[in-house]
Amino acid sequence: MTGRTGWRAGAALLLGAAFLAGFAQPAEAQGLRDRLRRVVRGAAQVAQTMLPISADKEVEIGRGIAATVAGRYPIVWDQALTTYVSLVGLAVAGEAPRPDIIYRFGVLETPDVNAFAAPGGYVFITRGALGIMESEAELAGVLAHEIGHVNRRHVIEGIRKADFMREVRDQAGLSGSTLDRAVGAGSNVLFSGYSREDEAEADSLGVLYAASAGYDATGLPTFVSHLNSRAGQGPLTEIFATHERPQGRLERLNRIIQRESLTGGVQLPERFAQNVRGRTAPAAQPQAKPAQPPARPPLPAQPPQPAPQVKKPGT
Amino acid sequence: MSARTRLSGAALAALVVLAAVVPAARAQKTQWSDAVYVPGRWQGGRLVPARTANQATDTLALVMRVDYFAKPPRWRAEIRRTADGQNFADPQVVLGNGADVQVVTALGATPLARHALGGDSLVRAALVVDANGRPQGAANGRIVDRAADGSVQRVVFRRTQRSAAFDDAMLDPRNSSAGRNFLSSRIAAVGDQRSTAVVATAGARGVDRVQTPRGEVPVTPDSLAILRMERFVVGALTLEEFLRQGRLGPYATRPEARR
Repeated sequence: MTGRTGWRAGAALLLGAAFLAGFAQPAEAQGLRDRLRRVVRGAAQVAQTMLPISADKEVEIGRGIAATVAGRYPIVWDQALTTYVSLVGLAVAGEAPRPDIIYRFGVLETPDVNAFAAPGGYVFITRGALGIMESEAELAGVLAHEIGHVNRRHVIEGIRKADFMREVRDQAGLSGSTLDRAVGAGSNVLFSGYSREDEAEADSLGVLYAASAGYDATGLPTFVSHLNSRAGQGPLTEIFATHERPQGRLERLNRIIQRESLTGGVQLPERFAQNVRGRTAPAAQPQAKPAQPPARPPLPAQPPQPAPQVKKPGT
Repeated sequence: MSARTRLSGAALAALVVLAAVVPAARAQKTQWSDAVYVPGRWQGGRLVPARTANQATDTLALVMRVDYFAKPPRWRAEIRRTADGQNFADPQVVLGNGADVQVVTALGATPLARHALGGDSLVRAALVVDANGRPQGAANGRIVDRAADGSVQRVVFRRTQRSAAFDDAMLDPRNSSAGRNFLSSRIAAVGDQRSTAVVATAGARGVDRVQTPRGEVPVTPDSLAILRMERFVVGALTLEEFLRQGRLGPYATRPEARR
């Protein structure tokens, strides 16, 4: 059913209820009218919170949220590193069906292990996260996960349901202080965590986009296994607080990879090392205890990988 | 439940399914990209051609990218040539409707045969399409064109998008915007392409407090950093080379398709 049809059906129901109320007995009518008034008020509120946020407003809100991210963690201005991260991100973003989005990528100066995506295509990864990765496929998987959040408008949907949005009647109303509130609400979602469902959806899209671009789909689960082996360390405090525990994520990711038969693909550890190593802070170290088993699922034997090229991009 | 009721229910269900499927089939859009290489190398901004029967990518030079958008019988091709191996020129738009092929310029539409593009052998080869507006050859992978003597004339790396999303108006030469808004600009490069609608935004916000797992923290938004991020350019050619070296996207190992 389309939104318009649904609205018509809802309006017909409300009119029917109003019609009935008009014919009710006076004593009952008072209560019925009150109830009807409450129903109408509730319906109006629901209708208002259903206001879609346009693509332009999505980008505008996203810029504000991205500015908040950049205010919390400075952006690294290392042209070679940013170019490399952008190229990996663009490789996977090409698989994501949002032609209205221009993706941009930045590296954040912090040892914290994390990644963020603001609406409108502003994607960030921290030096700390780069520091624990071992291949381009891992980076691709993490960026693809973030792109999944953008494509599914997870932050925007969170903002749309916020109480203050009930006052917004059209796109023009989403400006000034209301826009600032939207940016604030979106920033809170970004820093305090998405819902479990949104994270699971971004994980699914992450492995699909990365594999579709030609990367080894196990990149994202491999990164999650690195988190697992570093549990309890300071730089991982926030990512552990805002994401599902690694073991559960690993199991879910591996199920997706097996279900979709995502075999093959490149890992490109040499190209990753050449472009990232020496440009990142010392990585959080794995625990002294034995690490969890590797995240690779029991996939069928893979065909031989083509020899990865290690030439520096942009040269 | 009687047999008649069940039958009616089934018929209704079939109608609902048809109603959902028929419009989707009628509105089927496709979108794909070709990276076109010729034998040779770019050296100092000049193309040094080579004659070879070897189709390996290290003997080839990228000369053109074509992005296609089709909704049969209409189609649109955005052609980007490079003259120096470093940058792509602005796209040139060609529209087809199953009968005519026209080049869209700032002044209007010109039949391809009467436009300079029509005399470009690479462009002509790129615009050989079937009745559905699809170019010849496989949907994905490498396509090799050879001369009669076996030498490689051009190699195309093709990638079809899993889902196409573009405005029908972009396929119509009568629409004044058909040639002015380039669809491929959003997928071919990044950076310095902000739409005017995006420019004005929250720039003068003060200190915010954001919720984090470590509690509320004060943050001063840095809009200038985002402006700088938006101006950071990664060229389409750089991306193409990156994909090719990593054997990603259209360069992922796939069975070769020959014409």
